[in-house]
Amino acid sequence: MFKKKLFLLILVVFFMACDKNEDQPQNTPVSIDFSHSFNQQAIDSSSFNALDYTNGFGTTLSLTRLRYLISQISFTNQQGIKTLVKDYQLVDLSQDNSLAINDILLPPGAYNLKMRFGFTEAANTSSIYPDLNAASWNVPDMLGGGYHYMQLEGRWLDPGDDPNEPFLYAYHTISAVQNPGPDNTREDTSIEIDLGEITVTQGATQINVTMDINQWFENPNLWDLNTLNGMLMGNYTAQKMMQENGQTVFSLETNTGD
Amino acid sequence: MFKKIPLVFCLLCITLSCGEDDNQNQGYSPTPVNIAVPAIFSQLLPAPEIPANNQLTQEGVALGRALFYEKNLSADNSLSCAGCHKPNQGFSDQRRYSIGIDGIAGFRNSMPLVNIAWNTNNKFNWDGSADSLEEQVLEPVVNEIEMHNTWPNVEQTLQSDPNYLTKFEQAFGTTTISQDLIAKALAQFIRTLVSGNARFDNYLLGQATLTPLEQQGLAVFLDENRGDCFHCHGSPSNPLWTDNDFHNNGLDENFTDLGLGDITGDPAQFGLFKSPSLRNLAYTAPYMHDGRFQTLDQVIDHYSEGLIFSPTIDPLMKTVAQGGVQLTPQDKAALKAFLLSLSDPSLANNPAYQNPN
Repeated sequence: MFKKKLFLLILVVFFMACDKNEDQPQNTPVSIDFSHSFNQQAIDSSSFNALDYTNGFGTTLSLTRLRYLISQISFTNQQGIKTLVKDYQLVDLSQDNSLAINDILLPPGAYNLKMRFGFTEAANTSSIYPDLNAASWNVPDMLGGGYHYMQLEGRWLDPGDDPNEPFLYAYHTISAVQNPGPDNTREDTSIEIDLGEITVTQGATQINVTMDINQWFENPNLWDLNTLNGMLMGNYTAQKMMQENGQTVFSLETNTGD
Repeated sequence: MFKKIPLVFCLLCITLSCGEDDNQNQGYSPTPVNIAVPAIFSQLLPAPEIPANNQLTQEGVALGRALFYEKNLSADNSLSCAGCHKPNQGFSDQRRYSIGIDGIAGFRNSMPLVNIAWNTNNKFNWDGSADSLEEQVLEPVVNEIEMHNTWPNVEQTLQSDPNYLTKFEQAFGTTTISQDLIAKALAQFIRTLVSGNARFDNYLLGQATLTPLEQQGLAVFLDENRGDCFHCHGSPSNPLWTDNDFHNNGLDENFTDLGLGDITGDPAQFGLFKSPSLRNLAYTAPYMHDGRFQTLDQVIDHYSEGLIFSPTIDPLMKTVAQGGVQLTPQDKAALKAFLLSLSDPSLANNPAYQNPN
């Protein structure tokens, strides 16, 4: 009796082990890491507060906070099939667990990787994301509503300024708004980031998306913190300039194999 | 050989099923309970975060409530948690500094204890010195200027009380009272302290109206060029009315209290303190980490024209060079009226929060 049961058990285990379709490509883990630099100097939260960075305008600055929202993270294979791997990610340099997306599984192959800085107009509806609400990531309705795209904050000095009393900046990007107030109109200034082709190989594939922070200050609009240092959310022109500068901020590095 | 395998398997199952602590009562079956989440929180916020190893039960919360009001936690049996976190004062203390059992005053104002279950960054106290609520509740018991007790003494005192033996057995299935279980029970009760029934909450739910002055105040609060309060203190979309983060809000040029920097040792964090919730300001005066402002008017004046530069001042204090955001008297009055609409009059008399002892 026991021998028969044991035989049956072995058969079940055998069939379960053979359940996968050997003809299908096996999914392999993919991770996306978000890293940051300022003119090729690596930046992380330990870099905060140091007045060590000089932007294209010649202003020395520090960072005290950097949070930004990436949405619509997708891989499109060579057959044109798009896989959305995450709706959005709030990247916060002070929170290590926000600096990577680790739970991606894809078949090996070539893909086009795209994501978006900020939310599209359709996705940027006030109050609908509980985790972002709790993170105080909202934009007041009088400023167009929805959510921030980025909060980049710090201190700055021009040559000759008193180093003991740096000035402050809050470079906040949102959906550009005209006529802030109850009758405002909003314009989608999120940025599509086309990171080009990546290859997912069997084994672990690590994709590194880098933000060059200095690009926010110089390309194509040279940024003068003397005039554009704060209260930028309701400044339509500033938001449009930020959108233009954001086009070259992100780039890609890929490490494959493990 | 094969005949022995099923036998070994059965023995393994039996052994695994006996893995629980044999000291625990076999009849131990506490009743799971959920936090009473306000309607506006359900709409806008994630579910509260409860540690997997300290899920709420009716018995655990009841025990925690008894302990919250238990004066025997202090060395001379004179001071409970509620002595400095009073329900009718927003679970804070209207004295600038609470007084410990030896008559010694502390050096910070008592933090309000509401909506702690939504403190998603898991940093507690004005200075972020505790990484969990279970850790936070341990410190006041042994703090020399607060309860000035020792944990072995607390355990021994409660162990000799038959009522607590029953309560611990009901809550945790053991009559062996430990500081770990005391902390868990206190944390369970504190997580149930929820405030979400202010008039502004009901306004958001379409069940109340704001006065024109309060509406003007909300506009000041949300205006980046005037109050710009929302970056640190939430908004109608974040009804916690705090970002649960740490900031230097321009109180001092030099620091006598380093706040977060005292914990981390990082000079860049000297003078940073946790943003308190703006709920229940009607009951939680005085204000700021050191209770320096007796009135809400003084707080508003500070942000309007009293900001002081220091090396770690938060960049959101962007008008520090002008002393502040320079609100008009009308803006100030409106902002105050709006802020008071965030106070929840039902908190103080909630029967679930009262002294059961």
